[in-house]
Amino acid sequence: MDQAPARLRAYRSLLRLFPREFREERGWEMERLFVDMCAEWEEERGKLGLRFWASLVWDTGKEALGEWLSLSRELFRPATALTIGEHMSALMGDIRFAFRQLVRQPLYSGTIVLLMALGIAGNAAVFRVFNGLFLRPLPFESPEQLVDLNETAPQWDLEYLSIAYRDFDRWRAENRTFQSMTAIDYGGGNFIAGGGPQRVSFLAATHDIDEVLGIEPMLGRFFGPEEDTPEGPRAMLLAHGFWEQEFGGDRDVLGKTVTLNGFPIEIIGVLPTEASLISGADLWLPLRLDPTDFTGWGLNGIGRLQPDATIDQARLDLTSIHKAMIDEFDVNEISSPVVNSFRDRYLGDYRLSSGFLLAAVAIVLLIACANIAGLMFARSLSRSSEMSVRLALGAPRMRIARQLLTESLVLASLGGLLGAFLGVWGSEALVLPMADQFPRWVSFDLDGSFLMFLLAIVMGAAVVFGLAPALQASASASASSAARSTSSLSRRRVMSFLVTGEVALALALLVVGGLTVLDVRELGRTDPGFEPEGLISYNLSLPSGRYGDHDARLAFVDEYLPRLESISGVEAASVTSALPLGSHWGRFYVAEHAAPRAEDEINPVVLTRVVSPGFFETVGVRLSAGRPFDDFDGREDGTHVVIVNETFVASHLSHVQNPLGARLTGGTGTPGDDAMWMTVVGIARDVKHYGVDEEMIPGVYFPLRQEPLSGFQVALRVRGETSAAVSAARAITTEMDAELPVYDIEIMTEELDQALWTRRATSWLIGAFSGVALLLAIAGIYGVISYTVGQRSKEISIRMAMGARKEDVLRQILRQGMVLVALGVGLGLVVSLAGARLVTASGLLVGVQATDPRVYLGVTLVILAVAGVANYLPARRAAGLDPMHVLRGD
Amino acid sequence: MIPRPLKPQYFQILLALAEGDRHGYAIQRAVLAQTDDQVRLWPAMLYRSLAKLEEAGLIRQADAPADQPDDERRQYYALTETGSVRLREEAEMLARWATAARGAAI
Repeated sequence: MDQAPARLRAYRSLLRLFPREFREERGWEMERLFVDMCAEWEEERGKLGLRFWASLVWDTGKEALGEWLSLSRELFRPATALTIGEHMSALMGDIRFAFRQLVRQPLYSGTIVLLMALGIAGNAAVFRVFNGLFLRPLPFESPEQLVDLNETAPQWDLEYLSIAYRDFDRWRAENRTFQSMTAIDYGGGNFIAGGGPQRVSFLAATHDIDEVLGIEPMLGRFFGPEEDTPEGPRAMLLAHGFWEQEFGGDRDVLGKTVTLNGFPIEIIGVLPTEASLISGADLWLPLRLDPTDFTGWGLNGIGRLQPDATIDQARLDLTSIHKAMIDEFDVNEISSPVVNSFRDRYLGDYRLSSGFLLAAVAIVLLIACANIAGLMFARSLSRSSEMSVRLALGAPRMRIARQLLTESLVLASLGGLLGAFLGVWGSEALVLPMADQFPRWVSFDLDGSFLMFLLAIVMGAAVVFGLAPALQASASASASSAARSTSSLSRRRVMSFLVTGEVALALALLVVGGLTVLDVRELGRTDPGFEPEGLISYNLSLPSGRYGDHDARLAFVDEYLPRLESISGVEAASVTSALPLGSHWGRFYVAEHAAPRAEDEINPVVLTRVVSPGFFETVGVRLSAGRPFDDFDGREDGTHVVIVNETFVASHLSHVQNPLGARLTGGTGTPGDDAMWMTVVGIARDVKHYGVDEEMIPGVYFPLRQEPLSGFQVALRVRGETSAAVSAARAITTEMDAELPVYDIEIMTEELDQALWTRRATSWLIGAFSGVALLLAIAGIYGVISYTVGQRSKEISIRMAMGARKEDVLRQILRQGMVLVALGVGLGLVVSLAGARLVTASGLLVGVQATDPRVYLGVTLVILAVAGVANYLPARRAAGLDPMHVLRGD
Repeated sequence: MIPRPLKPQYFQILLALAEGDRHGYAIQRAVLAQTDDQVRLWPAMLYRSLAKLEEAGLIRQADAPADQPDDERRQYYALTETGSVRLREEAEMLARWATAARGAAI
């Protein structure tokens, strides 16, 4: 047999996929046919080749599966036709019997239920998130037709540029792939309707928005084209919630006129509740833009595709319209339209991390099932005498297999039920803090697919860990005692295989877990470039009615900031267009004497911030050279100045010896251009404006006097208690202007924390799951070694009676177990290193390398250490056996 | 009972055995020839089909023919009476279908 050529041996192991009976009956014929076929193929083609082996593996796998299925069908087909009632009572009897059996062995049953619950709970929790993000259809009419529109400008280093209205206007008029499309802007304003002023948020959209979203107003009407022009009559719709809250759900609001940012506007309708899924805005207004008036890029877009149009067709369609405009507008050479599915645009970043989580919990469930299968294997041996007795008493084989499967199903259902509860409960904790990170149309409610998923994994797990032992137990029960000893050997082999697999999976999971945990720790240590502790902020906007010109705004700030600094506990106060993690305002700059950029060279967009002189002190941004702004900078009679960040020096000022004193302009920099030149007076250290896990881009700061703002973030550096400082600031604000609302109060440390929340949650979860995986694997090792030792106690005793020393026995058993562990570790390392590239590509890691040796080494050592203990305990017990006691007992 | 119409591989196997008793490899070759090299019955598919057909009584295991002493170590299969009746019925049914198809295509 051992002389068989390698390929016949390979085929023989393939045939092991078949149930033993089939293999014993037909195996030799199939091997014979295989040999004949090999000869034929080699004669005709010279070699066997991939196609031969692929077809062979496919054929064997498919048919083996079919054979197993028909075998299990046969097992459950009753010998005589029973009525449904008889079926039910037989089933109930099985279930009752199963319960009795399980209650008799609480430790065994409890362990299995707990293992199962652990596996199911993780899967349920993660699937709930995955389902909400990626599977559940969007809550709109024909959601598959809805796409996100945007523009991209790789040459400016911008993935998403936003849409220019003149581009949108042309796309809308000339496209052939959309039913409708709308452009949307968001904003806020001071709103007055009878009572005092309040801050509201609004959405301004072109008049097509109702058609695109497929919604009807709950009351009144939507705005039409006549209201969507700069000169059209002003109109607004109220969001349903805002209508109830501010107008008590009064149906007579239609036709009323209210004031927004100083303009009187008529209420023409009330939105349905589902409109809040698109935006939480209080008011919806027409966009009222003029396509001939270019005001830059700043709009979002939503399109509804023709029923038969694809995203690619739509992109090509818009691109050809867009590029045909180059003759009129050069800049369309640089910008291009992008069409994305909603999910890809807003949730694409989460796809990989939730995929990783899903893989992690699947691995945990797999390990749990392997362990349960191991436990059942071990038990099926101890029960084979029970089975033999029942067989001898005339119980049909199928009846016994059914009984065993019923026990598995009962255990699985109990575990599944417990796991489902744990999972739903655990996922609340997972989902709730996440909710405001996602678009409003994402919902994590429990639904049909969640239920189906739970049911499927519970049943799947039950069948996987239940059917195989059931078939084997009933087969071995019928076999002779000679066959039984081989079956205990093959069972040991199966269990060893399970252990190796468990260790490998646990190691791979621990590596990913270790990497993400390390990564989040590194990110937490990353210097954000400013001092977040004690920094709080709020927003303020000066309505153009009463603060129409620069002087009025500057006068307000000049009086306001010293008063804020007089609050006890406030060390410094300043205003800025955007604090770290705040909004993005990008512009382009050219440095004096810089070589013109090549055609295809990236001209990076520059983050532009306007700050009052005290900004650098308040926020804790250090200057690496030069000076901060002072009260004279930006005055009309002085020079114009700018402070740049270190990245800007690298991207724009690499041609000068000393960046201080260099000049730059927001214009083209050519002689005819009269855009002002600004002198660099300071170099600020980079601030992680987009979060510590994002790359920083070039940035500049202007003094407030140079670009006076009408809306800004007020930053306070507070020592001690923050809430007292905020209320004092609010009082000062009201004292200065009773109609100014203070809004969006933020504590910087919380903002930073929040920005890393998804990463932290992912790392916690993968870390936790890998810990569970490790525990399960350890339990598996312990179980298998204990079982093996138990099986071999007689042999060990004989050897010890013959004079073998304790240490030899101990060493031999330990070696046997550790070989399995080492195999698992090796396999796991190979798998993790292969997966490292995937982890890198996923963007899951920012702070550490996916091949960080610390993690691989640490994880390997941990596994070897705990596996060693799990191995040592049963080995020591075996070595401590009293040989005479064991031998007499038999 | 094997439902009508027969699965294509069952039909081809019965057809191959109609010409005389054959062993597995010979059946595979015959089916290839019958189908202009279109259908190759790979081992697992072939032997599961043979098991099913045998169970349904359409074929039976047979001894190697006396003139093939080398083939003692191969299992031969033969068509049973039921099998050859069933093959004839199926062939007639296929013929009727083919006629109908030809009629519809014109």
